[in-house]
Order: sequence, then structure tokens, then C-alpha cells
Amino acid sequence: MSLLELNTVEPPVRETPPGGRRRALRRVLRNPLAAIGLVVVVVAVLAALLANVVAPFPFDRTDFGASLQPPSPAHWFGTDELGRDQFSRVLFGLRASVGVGVMSVALSLTVGVPLGLLAGFYGWLDPLFSRLADTLLAFPFLVLAVGLAAILGPSLATATIAIGVGQIPQVFRVTRGETLRLRGMDYVAAAVAGGAGDGVLLRRHILPNAVNALIVQATVAVPAAILGEAVLSFLGLGLRPPTPSLGGMLSSAESLFRDGPWLVVFPGVSIVLLTLALNLFGDGLRDALDPREARR
Amino acid sequence: MSVGPLLDVEELTVRFRTEDGAVLAVDAASFAMGEGEVLALVGESGCGKSVTALALTGLLPRGAAVSGRIGFAGRDLRGLPERDLRRIRGRDIAYVFQEPMTSLNPVLTVGRQVGEVLRRHQGMGTAAARERAVELLELVGIPLPRRRLGEYPHQLSGGMRQRVMIAMAVACRPRLIIADEPTTALDVTVQAGILDVLRTLRAEIGTAVLLITHDLGVVADIAERVVVMYAGRTIEEAHAEALFARPSHPYTRGLLDAVPNPARHSDGGLREIPGRVPVLASSPDACTFADRCGYADGLCRTRRPAMNRGPAGHQVRCWHPLSVPSTVEA
Repeated sequence: MSLLELNTVEPPVRETPPGGRRRALRRVLRNPLAAIGLVVVVVAVLAALLANVVAPFPFDRTDFGASLQPPSPAHWFGTDELGRDQFSRVLFGLRASVGVGVMSVALSLTVGVPLGLLAGFYGWLDPLFSRLADTLLAFPFLVLAVGLAAILGPSLATATIAIGVGQIPQVFRVTRGETLRLRGMDYVAAAVAGGAGDGVLLRRHILPNAVNALIVQATVAVPAAILGEAVLSFLGLGLRPPTPSLGGMLSSAESLFRDGPWLVVFPGVSIVLLTLALNLFGDGLRDALDPREARR
Repeated sequence: MSVGPLLDVEELTVRFRTEDGAVLAVDAASFAMGEGEVLALVGESGCGKSVTALALTGLLPRGAAVSGRIGFAGRDLRGLPERDLRRIRGRDIAYVFQEPMTSLNPVLTVGRQVGEVLRRHQGMGTAAARERAVELLELVGIPLPRRRLGEYPHQLSGGMRQRVMIAMAVACRPRLIIADEPTTALDVTVQAGILDVLRTLRAEIGTAVLLITHDLGVVADIAERVVVMYAGRTIEEAHAEALFARPSHPYTRGLLDAVPNPARHSDGGLREIPGRVPVLASSPDACTFADRCGYADGLCRTRRPAMNRGPAGHQVRCWHPLSVPSTVEA
């Protein structure tokens, strides 16, 4: 009997049950690159949200007496040809970029996840949905975006929709693959044996377990969307002036590169830093959530 | 067994279509269980035990062709629409599977998973289901049940997880629990605890238990009657003591001999049954065990043996049974 007790000794009961995700976050923060990434992302998001509080000038206030000034204590990032404060514009541009990144990913998740679940769960739907995804994937991103802009007119919403739609196939594929994998898990079989219907299986047993993969997918998709917005604004298909976006700022700085290189450097560096930070954080998150990593 | 059996399986046959052709997994298996009875279904891997268990409530994949009759509490489960089967699964017939480590959803707390069954089948609210879950965890011998409710499966040991699985299985006081190798993945000492839980539950709720196992130690420990399966056929059925004392089928005898026994095998060797279970495409007109059987002759290879009924419900499907129950003595 003493043997029996030895074998069933319980792990100590903890005060707060640390959920799997919380533990994963701790593991991310132990990875220095990922931790730096997270800090940069948080700072960027705060800056974007608080742009109208933090920015020293309104983004569209012109000052022709101070046009094309290099960085100075008054204008940290310098001014453009209309004397607009570049630091303020970068902050507001960040708001547009982060907004597009988040909204377009939200759009692709909203459409891609349900379709992926259905295709992975109901085999007979799979060929149809998968071929549709392949079709969408076959469109070059810019062709899709230019086409949409032609129909809807260039705006932030157009850019968001174009980027979001362009990302649906990836989200769909990740979700479908996870669903196929999870459908074969013992606990799904056990739930079926317990009388669970399809809705319960998808909602409570498959989707929550696919979230890890989707989180990782999203951390890749957000920087891609930010770059996409930069590209579209650079081509004049995104935000209309004078509202700044990081890509739009790059676009208008192109002709002034020689007179004011800082006009290119600051928005450019912002884009690079933000996407790099998101990618680093995403990598760390993927490692931390990897099921091959010991679960205990 | 006075009012008719709880479960009455007649001529259950399951065929799979695979890429390598048809496979006959269960070949006209028949057995019955009374209310509150513990019946063990034994046999080595690949002899159709688990397929039989899954077939009972229609859990086999779509490619499986099932025929025969599955009488449960007076109605035939075979051919019932999925919607009706769903209502039976988990409420009237509950399963406990082999793999406690992977049979619980890793992202839901224990409380939610136990509560899910209650909410689904008994229409309980969240709070009521939670209270009942505490009782259930207590019933299956989990210490500090209230705390366990908020924990995730990875925080529990294998034995504890299997107890949770059993708690989920008994949540709706099912009339039949099908336990498919419930102790195989566990340490021997933990096994004993799990078997205790099953025994207790049976005494307290009166649930019948269909125990699927290849572990004859487990059978001796808990089962009242035993059905032995081989290559999809039921080949011997008897009360547990009778089966252990006087196995009639050479295969049953071989299974018993294969149990390691330090006293008997003083030379240190383990006895085994030569060969392996055949994978059959169709039901041969022969004894499926003939190729591995030391007693097989021409008759065994050319004619299919029928089930011989002996005294005290001892039945055997063999042309040359080793002991009493047959009407034809070899």
C-alpha cells in the first residue's frame, strides 16, 4: 500500500493555476530577442494610440519658415518641405500602420478561421474551399489591391480590405491543417463518445487548441500587413494626404531624398523596427508554444 | 438477467474497406450482458475487441460496414440516426479510453470538461454542474476535488487523469460503461486504484461495465464473466472462475499460459503462442485459430466450428475443446 501512495503522490497544488498560455508568455520573456521585440511592439502601439497626446505638433500643421530642417531639439525627426514636424507625423503614421495591420489581420481571421474549420472538419467541403483559397492565392497581391482601389477608391479602408483579403488563404490553410490534426486527437474522440455534437467539437475542442497556431500566424501576418500598407501608400493606393502613414511618408519623401534624407530615414526605420520586433516576438512565441517543447 | 439482458449483441459483423482491400474486423460476434454485470472482453491486439466496443454506439469511421443486432435496453442501436446515438453516448453508454494522457482536452479545466457532459445531457446550469463535478471527483477518489476543478490536465498525473475520465463517464449515471483498456497505460499500482474505483462505482451506481483488456490479471481482479475474442470471432465465453480453472479453447489456454508466472516457469522462459492474429478479408470456412493451434487437424481447416453450449453458460467455439463444456468430446 505504501507503494501505491508513493505512486499517486500529487504535484503540489499551486495558489493560482497558471494557464498554458501564461506559462508560454513567461517562456517568451526568457528569450531576450523576443522580450526586446515585445517591448518595442508595446511602445509602438502605445505611441500609436496616444499619438494625439504625445505628438508635439498636429500632423498637418505647416510652417514654411522651418521647411526641410534636419533633426533638432525642436523637431526631433526634422521637418518636411512644408515645415511639418516629422516626429509627430511618424507617430500618427504609426497609428495608421498599426491600425491597418490589426484590422486587416482581424478581417482575414474572421473569414479564414471559420472556413478553415469547416474545410478541415467536413471532408466534402474541403476540395471546394481549398480550390477557392488556391485561386485567391494565385492573384498577385498588388493586382488584387490595385483592382480593389480602382473599385473602392484609394483609402485606408481599401488598403485594409485588400491586405486582409490577400491574407485569407494563409489563415484558411493554417486553420484547416490544425483542424485536420486535432480532429484525430484522443480527446476529440473522447468528446464524441461523450455525446458531443459537431458544434461543440469545433467550438470547444478544436478551435481553442488551434489558437496557438493562429497566434503565431497573426504575429507573422501583422508585420506583413504593415509592409503591405507601406507599399500601397507608396503607390498612392492607401491613405490620402495629408493624413500620414509610414508608407505614405516614404512615398512623398522619395523626391526629396537628396535634400532631406531624414525624411526617408525615420519612417523607414520605424517600419523596419516595428516589423522586426513583431517577427522576433512571433518567433519567440512560436518556440514557446511549440508542443514539442516539454509541456511540464 | 431476469428481465432480459441490458446489452444483447447478436451476429455483430464489421467490415472495413481499406486501400489493401476489405478487412473483416468482427465476424458475427454475439454476447449479452445483464444490468450491473462486469463482463470482460479479452484477446490479443488486433482481434476486434475495440472495434466491437466502438461499433456499439456507432463510433466507427464512415468506411466501416456494420451488420447484426445491437440490442440495448430493448432497442436496436444499429441503424439509429446519429442524433439519437449522440443522446445515448455519454448518458446511457459511456466510454473510458486507454490513453488518459491524451484523452482530456489540454486547454480546458477539469471542471469544465466534467461539467460539459452534465450540461449537455442533464441540462444543468454552470453552477449546478460545478457542484455535481465536485461530487463526482470525490466519488472517483480524487483528493481536494474543489481545487482540482480549476486545474488543467497537464497538472494531473496519469492515474488522476484516468479518474477524471471515469468521473466524466459516470457523470450521468450511465447503465453501461465501456472501458477500453482503462489501465493499460498506467503503472501497476495505479491500475489497482483505478480498478477499485470501477468496482466501487458499480456497487454504488449499479452500472454495468464492459471491460476490454488483454490483461488477464485485470480480468481475474474484477470481471464476473469473460468473452474471449480471436480474429473477430467470439471463441469462448464463461464465468471468470470457470475460465481460469478450465479453459476450453486452446487459444484461451494459450493466453493463460502466456501470463508470466514465476512458479511455473522456473526455467525463466516465457511461453507464447506462435504466429500472429491473421488479418482476414472474409470469414473462412475453418477455425481462424487453426494455423496457430497445436491440436488442429483437417476438420479444423475445412469447417467452421459452431459455439458449443456447456453447463453454467460455458460456451466454446472449437472442434477439439480441452475440457467439459462441449457435447462433442475430442
